[in-house]
Amino acid sequence: MENILKRNKKSKRRFTVSDAILSVIPLLIVISFMRIYPVLETVYRSFTNWNGLYRSDWVGLRNYIEMFANSPFWLLLRNNLVLLISVPLQVIFGLLVAVLLYEEIRGWRFFRVVFFFPQIMSAVTIGFLFRVAFGLDGPVNMALQKVGLISHLIDWLGNGPTALFVLVFVLTWFSIGWQAIVMLGGMSKIPPSVFDAAKIDGANFWQRTFRIVVPMITRNIEYGVIMSMVWTFTSIFPFIYSITWGGPGYETTTIDYMIYIKFYQSSSNLGFACTLAVVLMIIIFIFTVTEMRFSNKAAEWED
Amino acid sequence: MKQSAIKRVVPFLIFLILLLFSISFLYPVFFMINNSLKSSTAYLKSPFSLASGNLAWDNYATMISQFQIFDLFKNSFLISVFTIIFLLIIGIVASYAFAKLKFKGHNIVFILTISTMFIPAQVTMIPLYMLFSKIHLVDTYWSVILSYLGIFLPEVILLLTATFRGIPDEIIEAAKVDGAGYFNMLRYIIVPMGRAGIMLCIIFYFIVTWNDLFIPMVFLQNMKLRTVMVALSALASRYRGDPTFQFAGLVLAAIPAILVYAFFQQYIIKGLSAGAIK
Repeated sequence: MENILKRNKKSKRRFTVSDAILSVIPLLIVISFMRIYPVLETVYRSFTNWNGLYRSDWVGLRNYIEMFANSPFWLLLRNNLVLLISVPLQVIFGLLVAVLLYEEIRGWRFFRVVFFFPQIMSAVTIGFLFRVAFGLDGPVNMALQKVGLISHLIDWLGNGPTALFVLVFVLTWFSIGWQAIVMLGGMSKIPPSVFDAAKIDGANFWQRTFRIVVPMITRNIEYGVIMSMVWTFTSIFPFIYSITWGGPGYETTTIDYMIYIKFYQSSSNLGFACTLAVVLMIIIFIFTVTEMRFSNKAAEWED
Repeated sequence: MKQSAIKRVVPFLIFLILLLFSISFLYPVFFMINNSLKSSTAYLKSPFSLASGNLAWDNYATMISQFQIFDLFKNSFLISVFTIIFLLIIGIVASYAFAKLKFKGHNIVFILTISTMFIPAQVTMIPLYMLFSKIHLVDTYWSVILSYLGIFLPEVILLLTATFRGIPDEIIEAAKVDGAGYFNMLRYIIVPMGRAGIMLCIIFYFIVTWNDLFIPMVFLQNMKLRTVMVALSALASRYRGDPTFQFAGLVLAAIPAILVYAFFQQYIIKGLSAGAIK
């Protein structure tokens, strides 16, 4: 009897282990071919003069030197950094919206739906909308002229600084709702008793916000900031593509956008595009490690 | 006296600020819909005035009959649906293993999967394009679907593993005692009890894949296979001073995602505030 039980137990365990391994095999295949292989290939090709076909000679660090010395790389990085200005703006407005929604003012459900709305529209739509809006004879110029704020039309998208401003504006507009939702997620974990007690004790709006709410959602704010920074470096392609095309010149081209340009316009040196990709990956890696550090710290606090 | 006055004014102020924000989010959309109903002369005369009199449905008619936007819808829809199906099949079985089966080394596989989450699509694009063109997958839906699987699976795993971990072990043990095998376990316990996470995946990735531009633009060059967003962004680049026709297309293309959002918004907001996805 005992023997049978033992064997049964054993066979059951073995059954589960092979199940578990079979369960993750499809995942491992996809991850290996769609993520790990291409990354390794990109790293390798970044040291070659690959043209996508037969030519792929090892050139050592030449692509990297070329990139740092005589390519618009620093301009691209500057553009990326300028676009990061959007992050603190998102956080400030997002916090404002979240705090106001947290007060459960009448109609807050409606407001929440509205603020999140940009997130479900395609960047293609949003981009086109704002390209039209900031066009030379577009509604923004028209309105400003009517009010009398400007005497002659501003070529928003034709100049580097104003084009970057438009992009920062659009990215902020797009992300406020997302930031607010992330912060509201943190706020929902604040025990209502704490908040109510403060209210009864006569803490005013500002005290409640900065003494109670903000300190208790630091973790969410950090998360929102880092994720938004990563997002700004990796996912704003459709915005740039539909608003400025990276122009004028390379004035609004970012690193990720340049990889796309190099891929399409000159198939002569894809190795160089791979070099840009590697640098982009390193930047993202730094952000991600920072985020993990932060979350470890937060976990320590919770203990 | 003074206190109560403040008490009445503050909520009103908050309401006012929120209202102003709302207008800034809704007005551009209104602007787009309003002008999609105008003829180009009416738009050039004044983009701010209400579309009135004889509404110009011509833009929509042309979108449907000549631009054949519904064929493009079909492309987008097939890509979204197949992406979601494969995401769920692969994601559910793997997350089940991570959450409940816990084989030797499951942590390493899990961390490996999650750590690929932040690899930007631009980094993998070039080798993948070369790989797909070697095996003749460029200009097929599969190139896009497979790319999406690579990009979204880590997020799906993160979300579903967390969801499945919430299923009590007692229930799983009870089902095992009752003789539930692997597939019955998934069918009767894991999937029904992990419904919230699974629904969130379906809704979220429908919206994301429907709206995406980058991946389908890189892999689909055949005009017949383009997704609606790729085709519209090409059309948008031909804009010269009169956007009414483009607006009509963009309004039509926004409808599926808006419908999904309207019906399921509580799932999306819940999932996002859990911090699972950006």
